[in-house]
Amino acid sequence: MKNFHLLWILTAFLLWSCAEKDNTQPSEEIKINSLTASENPVKAWDTAVITVEATGDNLQYRWEANHGNFRGGGKQIRYAAGECCVGLNTITCTVSNSSGKVSDTIMIRVTSYFDPKNK
Amino acid sequence: MLKLNAFLISSSLLFFIIADKTSAQCCSSGNPFISDAEHPALQSQVLTSSLTYRYGHSSQYFSGDSRFSDLPFKETSYSNYADFQVGYGITNWLTVQAGIGYFFNKTLTTSGLEPYKGFGLGDAELYLKFNAYTNPEKRFSISPSLGVKFPIGVFDQEADHVQLPITVQPSSGSYKYTGNVFILKGIGRKMAFAAFLAYEYSQLIESDNFYYKYGDQWIGAVYFNFQAWKRLGADIQFRNEYRAKSTREHNEIVDATGYNVIFFTPQLTWAFKHNWYLSAYSDIPIYKYYNGIQMSFGYSFSVRLTKKIDFIALKAYQKSKNYDVLLRQ
Repeated sequence: MKNFHLLWILTAFLLWSCAEKDNTQPSEEIKINSLTASENPVKAWDTAVITVEATGDNLQYRWEANHGNFRGGGKQIRYAAGECCVGLNTITCTVSNSSGKVSDTIMIRVTSYFDPKNK
Repeated sequence: MLKLNAFLISSSLLFFIIADKTSAQCCSSGNPFISDAEHPALQSQVLTSSLTYRYGHSSQYFSGDSRFSDLPFKETSYSNYADFQVGYGITNWLTVQAGIGYFFNKTLTTSGLEPYKGFGLGDAELYLKFNAYTNPEKRFSISPSLGVKFPIGVFDQEADHVQLPITVQPSSGSYKYTGNVFILKGIGRKMAFAAFLAYEYSQLIESDNFYYKYGDQWIGAVYFNFQAWKRLGADIQFRNEYRAKSTREHNEIVDATGYNVIFFTPQLTWAFKHNWYLSAYSDIPIYKYYNGIQMSFGYSFSVRLTKKIDFIALKAYQKSKNYDVLLRQ
C-alpha cells in the first residue's frame, strides 16, 4: 500500500514534468512583415479577415486570441467575437519553422451588437 | 482505515501537483454543476463513489428575460460529460470528497460552418464536509462544506494550430473556491425537505496575454424527497443560479456576462442490493435572465451510479458471520 501511494505521487510528478513545454526559441530567419485586419473595429458576430505576411522557409502559423473565435488557418484567418467579447481584443500570430518562432499581435476593437453606430 | 485515509490524502495531493499554470482564455464555465440532490456529510468509515453521465444542450440566445432571435445565424451547443466522485467519512464530523470531470465532447455548431469541438479533462474538485449538527431522532442535520476547484484540464486546446473558442474548452481555466451548507429535515417516515446554499469565488486568470475573472456565483436550492417505495425515491428540486458579471483587462466589467436562472430538477433514485444506487434527473430552466446577449442554458439529462460501503457495518456483519460459524462448530 505504501508503494501504491508513492506511485500516485510519482505519476503526478511525471505528468507535471512531461507536460508539453514550448522550447521554441526566437528566430532571426523569420520575419513578420505585416499583420492586418480587413475591418477594425468590427461589430459583435461580424467577421474580420486577418492576414499575416511573413518571410522564411516552411512556415507554420499559429493563432490565438484573448477573446473571440477563429475560422480557417494558415496565413489568413477569419475572426469573430460575440457580445461577451466587446472591447479591445488581442490577436496573436506566431510564425515558426525549424529555426524558431516569431510572434506579432494586432488589436481589434469589437463593438456591441446594440451600438447605435453599427446601424 | 489508516491505509484508506492515506490513499485519500495522497489522491488529494495529486490534484494539487498536477494543477499547473494554465495559459487561459475566457468565458468557459468549466464543469457543469452536478445537480442531483446534495447529500449531507457521511458517517465515519462510510465510502461513497459515484459516476455521473450528463448530456447538455443549448440553442437559444437570450437578452434579458426574453429569447433573442435577431442574430443572422443559428447556433447549437451540446456536450457529453462524465464526472467521477469519491467521498469518505473520516470521522463522524468530517468527510472528504474529491471529484473530476471529463468532456467526451464540447461542441458548438453554427449553421453552414464547420463545428468547433473540444474534449478532455475538465476541472477537479476537493471538498471538506462537516457534520456541524445532527439529530437522528428528529432527522435533522446541518452540513457546511468548503471546497476548491482546480483547472487541471486544458484551456487552450487547438485544432490545426488555431485556438478553439473558449466555450468548447474543457477547463474553466480558473481556480475556484466554494463554501456551501446543506440542511436536511425528515418529515414523517417517508419524506424529507432539504435546502442548499452555495457561494463560489473565482480566482483571477492572469497570464501574458490574458486577464479575466468570472463573476461570483450564488446557488440556492430547495428539495423535497419522497420515498415512494422501499427502493424507489423521488426528488423535486427548485434551484436558483445567479452569476455576477465577469471582469476583463483594466478591470473592465463585461456587460454580456452574468445571469439569473431558475431550474426545475426532477429526480428518481432506485436502490439496488448491496448499496448500489441509480439516479436519473433532468435540469429544466423555468426562468432565465441574461445580461446583454448570451447563449442560454437549454436542458440537460443525467444518470448517476453510486456505490456506498459502510465499513463499520461490514466489519460487524463479518464478525457475526464468524460467530455463527463458531456456534455451528
